[in-house]
Amino acid sequence: MDDRLRETLSAMMDDEADELSVRRLLSHGSPDDVCQQWQRWQQVRDLMHDGRSPMEGIDVSAGVRAVLEGRTVDPVRKKREVHKTPVRWQWPAAAMAVGALFIGFGAGAGWEYIGVVPASSVAVSEPAGVPETDTTHEVALQGLDKEQWGYMNRYLLEHAQHNSVGAGQGSVGYARLVSANDSGH
Amino acid sequence: MMQAGTGVRRQGFTPLGLRGIPKLLVIIALLVTVAETAFAEEKNPAAEWLEQLGTAINMTSYKGVFVYARGGRVHSMRIAHRYHNGEIQERLVLQDGGSGEIVRKGMNVVCVLPEQGRVKLDQVIPSGPFAEAYTSRLMPLSRWYKSDLVGEDRVAGYDTVIIALAARDAYRYSHRLWLEKSTGLLVKSNVGEPGGKVLEHFQFTNLEITDDIPDSEFEIHSEGREITHQLDGPKKGEALPSSPAMNGWNLGWHPQGFVPAATPKSDKGQAVAFSDGLAAFSVFVEPEQSVRMPVGVSRIGATTIYMRQLEADGVRFLITVVGEVPPETARLVAESVHVNKMPESAAGSP
Repeated sequence: MDDRLRETLSAMMDDEADELSVRRLLSHGSPDDVCQQWQRWQQVRDLMHDGRSPMEGIDVSAGVRAVLEGRTVDPVRKKREVHKTPVRWQWPAAAMAVGALFIGFGAGAGWEYIGVVPASSVAVSEPAGVPETDTTHEVALQGLDKEQWGYMNRYLLEHAQHNSVGAGQGSVGYARLVSANDSGH
Repeated sequence: MMQAGTGVRRQGFTPLGLRGIPKLLVIIALLVTVAETAFAEEKNPAAEWLEQLGTAINMTSYKGVFVYARGGRVHSMRIAHRYHNGEIQERLVLQDGGSGEIVRKGMNVVCVLPEQGRVKLDQVIPSGPFAEAYTSRLMPLSRWYKSDLVGEDRVAGYDTVIIALAARDAYRYSHRLWLEKSTGLLVKSNVGEPGGKVLEHFQFTNLEITDDIPDSEFEIHSEGREITHQLDGPKKGEALPSSPAMNGWNLGWHPQGFVPAATPKSDKGQAVAFSDGLAAFSVFVEPEQSVRMPVGVSRIGATTIYMRQLEADGVRFLITVVGEVPPETARLVAESVHVNKMPESAAGSP
């Protein structure tokens, strides 16, 4: 199945495919391929729609916008937003949420400076002698050139192997590697 | 009589004499009993399932198709896996986009990815107890994750139990695992922030647990430009190291519960992997090469990559942390790396 048909199939899932494209898809020589792909995507969509995000109650847009525009996020407002979260998250998740405000979602969107919040107060251990840094670059994988990507690939592959051999993660590590490759190219 | 009796007592009275051993044994037995009691108290149905997870992943023979999804990206892969002649054999074939495959036979991995040529990885050295520690009772997962048996489900035609593992601190992610009932095989998993956003999904959509998988299913079929990545492993007859060597550098901090895992010898420096039994991160310390890598953090689903530069003895090093840990954890680990002296393997590097 070529990319154009895959595109049509994707559009059909979003109810955006035009009639001609659908006809072309239906007359495709290997209907089994199309069916399998459709089935896989449906399963994935179901899978992803099942996972409810408790971040739903938080408005992060203002914080992200402020960071992008170089403004300081009002700590009072930030605190209020964190307090909107359900009680069951408590501090670990609250720290994550605040971190998300600074880091933003969807890494790999571009090069930018982002603030890094201190570790959660409920951490079981605190690092000693760690130099304080207030900014961290976000690295866009899409921005890497071929040689840089070669390096990155090796790190990811070795890590996948650690996962497979040492951490009992089986094939999940390699799936991550494949997914990362798709980001780069 | 009194003197003789006293004499016998004196002969036997040495710190590790015959009379001391029973006391020592009693103390050890008491300690073991207390430890076992404590363990038994902690044990719950979820823990029992987790104990067989590592064994099931490696020893079960199966084939099927799984999907891996993160954000808007989805990949499906066909997999065949078996434990054959004392080694794990596995072949993964990409089902979407360009052709590519990964074949693992024991410690030897050949990876053919679209437009990436062929990358060969071998001689990753299990650094000692860790490969077994995953399935061992010594790995106190319950200390770092709150584990619960939360229900049952059906995945790819198989009945499963669902185990929720909630991280007890902010240095790791939470997990939800679906384990096949008869074998304990992991057939579905979610990794996410504690009680929050799901970062990646893994799930079999088609699965057959069977010992009847022909040899041909484990051969590389794809063609591609071959790039061999030779790692410096031990020479023939040379013993494997019993513990991970951090030659010339050390880690000032890592989250509690993470212990050294597999240790490969990368070509220009050092790499050490750590795992808490569920999540893992790898630390690479290498002299900077002609290729200048960007510094900062990148996230691919649940995987964080953090890179920073460090100068020691006039040599610039690239510190890279790759793992399924939050970006903040990866940063703290990377920032805690100290290079004491130039690694021996880097001595000849420019």
